Amino acid sequence: MTQVDHQTSPAVVQKVAKTAVSSGRKESAAMRFLRRWGTIAVIVIAGLGFALASPYFATVSNLNNVLFSMIVSALVSMGLTWVVMAGSFDLSIGLTVTTSSILVAFLMPVVGPWLAIVIALAAACVIGLVNGVLVTYGRLSGIVVTLGVMFVLDGINVFITGGYQVPIDYGETAFLYLGQGKLGIIGVPVIILLVIFALALIAATRTRIGHYIAAVGDNPMAAFYSGINVYRWVILAFVLSAFMSGIAGVIVTSISSSAQPVGGEGYLLEAFAAVFLGATVLGKGKPHVLGTLVGVFFLYMVDSGMNMVGFPFAARHIFQGLVLIVAVGANALLNREEVHLKFI
Amino acid sequence: MSEAPLVELRNLEKEFAGTKALKGVSLSFASGEVHGLLGENGAGKSTLINLMTGVYSPSAGEILLDGVPVRISSPPEAHRLGLGAVYQDAELVSSFTVGQNILLGNEPGRVSLNDRAIHEEAARILAEMGIDLDVRRLAGDLSAAEMQLVTLATLFHRRYKLIVLDEPTARLSAAESEALFRIIEGFKAQGIAIVYISHRLREVQEICDRATILRGGLVSGTLNRGEVTEDRVTELMVDRNRSELATFNNGESVLPDVTLEVTAISTARLAPLSFKVHAGEVLGVTGPVGGGMEELARALGGITRHSGSASVRGKTVALATPIQARSAGIALIPEDRRKQALFPSLSVAENICLPVLNSLQRLLTVSPGPMRKYADGVMERLAVRPPNSSTQVRFFSGGNQQKLVIGKWMSAGAAVYIVVEPTNGVDVGAIKEIYDIILGLASGGAAVLLVSSSLRETLALADRIMIIHDGVKVAEAPKKDWTYDELLAVTLSGISRRAA
Repeated sequence: MTQVDHQTSPAVVQKVAKTAVSSGRKESAAMRFLRRWGTIAVIVIAGLGFALASPYFATVSNLNNVLFSMIVSALVSMGLTWVVMAGSFDLSIGLTVTTSSILVAFLMPVVGPWLAIVIALAAACVIGLVNGVLVTYGRLSGIVVTLGVMFVLDGINVFITGGYQVPIDYGETAFLYLGQGKLGIIGVPVIILLVIFALALIAATRTRIGHYIAAVGDNPMAAFYSGINVYRWVILAFVLSAFMSGIAGVIVTSISSSAQPVGGEGYLLEAFAAVFLGATVLGKGKPHVLGTLVGVFFLYMVDSGMNMVGFPFAARHIFQGLVLIVAVGANALLNREEVHLKFI
Repeated sequence: MSEAPLVELRNLEKEFAGTKALKGVSLSFASGEVHGLLGENGAGKSTLINLMTGVYSPSAGEILLDGVPVRISSPPEAHRLGLGAVYQDAELVSSFTVGQNILLGNEPGRVSLNDRAIHEEAARILAEMGIDLDVRRLAGDLSAAEMQLVTLATLFHRRYKLIVLDEPTARLSAAESEALFRIIEGFKAQGIAIVYISHRLREVQEICDRATILRGGLVSGTLNRGEVTEDRVTELMVDRNRSELATFNNGESVLPDVTLEVTAISTARLAPLSFKVHAGEVLGVTGPVGGGMEELARALGGITRHSGSASVRGKTVALATPIQARSAGIALIPEDRRKQALFPSLSVAENICLPVLNSLQRLLTVSPGPMRKYADGVMERLAVRPPNSSTQVRFFSGGNQQKLVIGKWMSAGAAVYIVVEPTNGVDVGAIKEIYDIILGLASGGAAVLLVSSSLRETLALADRIMIIHDGVKVAEAPKKDWTYDELLAVTLSGISRRAA
């Protein structure tokens, strides 16, 4: 019964292995195109649809409006992008916006606008630092830590304001210029947004910051064995996230000439939608700064378009929610894994 | 080779719960040396490696690095000291390109990154290693073998002094193995010491400067290149003094009916093979780790995609998913208990009752009473200690966990049990009990497929033995036709001396 079959056998196996490898990933050009450009195609089609339905949609002034309305959300979302890239969650960003906003408004009469801004941004960074340190050295889950920090910040905010809004003195023209000024037809905050976007894009794609944060988020073990200080980059991601939310807080105070003690949570959900939508842009499958900006733009463009066409407010959320699920779902379908057993 | 050894082990001992896995091993590894490490399962190879890479701490003895005693308290500490091991799966960033992976952590430039420079440098490294691979491909799209080669390429920049390669060719084809050997030559030229663990004798002969054979937790001999012959290695590996295990399957339970019949089953890494297992019979499947025997188990369990057909008790069955395999009456008891078979944070009762919940439920609810009663019964029969069914599974020892995994499936009444490496990581005391449980499955009328790289285990438990080497079935014969030495020779070389 014992057989000798050795002379021919290795060749057989090698052949078997070769065919398995080549059939591993074959995809048509159409599939490749869809994965890369699918989300952007949907955005363009939606834009064209709105432009056909309303003559006011595809105008420079409306584009300006959309850009202006998305500033705060875009900053928060770009911040969150870093943390999701690093493989964690940050639920405290919305409240960080509120905190920084309140701090600026509160401190301005005492220390003047510029020092107030510096202190507010520093405070935001401290929030990020606390989040990052607890998630790494503290060994806590990102969801738990930032959820806790979110509640704590909310309590502090309501406590120091007594639940009332904090107005900005109309004499602070220099500070108000940040949110309300214009250079030609472009609002100053839009320019601030674009500058920060450019810096973030460079940091994400051309420096170690983005490279290592992405590596840590994808496979922390591999990053660790490559000699990368994993904790440092995770903490930096949280600090960047909080810092950007801090900037958003300063700008929102300037735009509305006051600080609101509540309402920051809204930014959080929008930011998550934008980050996950953005991950599908260009078929990356991972969050990236450009994708996030495109994602925010899409959400606000739809908002504006549906408003002009006359849809009720509720319909916009339905549409945005469906687009998010379809975009992420289609992307997952195109990047099919053999067994899907991850439900987060 | 320099005179002073790079790493020196002095009288290393390691004790697990009263059992000595290492009984005083002294060994040295020199810079630029490829040092083979051989030994049968349980000889202490993995314990030794785990001590050197900081997974365990020694019970006695010391490790010297460059002549200085070091304490290797954790894997990160080993990494800092320059002692590295290739951990098979967790090594690449899948969303990065091959080039980005190879230079990860050592990118050229200061603050900014130059994408082109990274890929040019990576391409240079790959060319030097003789690997033909596009550096722009995403790591996530690579085949398992390509991933392993890229993983090795990443080591170039990590500045390890010593690298442990554990069965590195397990997933490689012949051509890829050649690439691996060139990589190893490259490491040698840099003065890195390589510890090369393999069950494939030809590789050890080809690549290793010296080879140490472990036996029963002791060094039984170190051979220089040229002295490594099949006869010498077999002689040093086989432990004549070790008492035979008390458990032995004398084949009384084998019935004439065929329970499992497999025809021309094949996967990406397994050439077509056929076999039958009778009711009450234990078929031992053995061979080198990664040589294809695990593939067979995974295919039959519905986990790996395969072609070919299988029938259970005369009925043709589809085995495309684990659910189909289960309803066909095949129970797979996997090697990696913690990850693939148990729910560590659930209680014993919850784990054991999982496959039989349907029969325990009344009015669509399962109450804790019957669950506990059932679990206590199973635990008593299998002598699980401590006998407390409400304890979380993670607090049990490896041996007791293994008993629980088998216990989980035992009363589910499967026709075929596939048991993979049942005593891996199990303390010596529990081994005999597990053997008795496995033989109990067979005498209960089930067909048992025992997939094990331990020859002793295979000889003790199996009625027939099949050897799979490099994805090919090279031999199949009743146990009485095999001696330990013959079995060892065939597993090492992949060549069966006897004609059919």
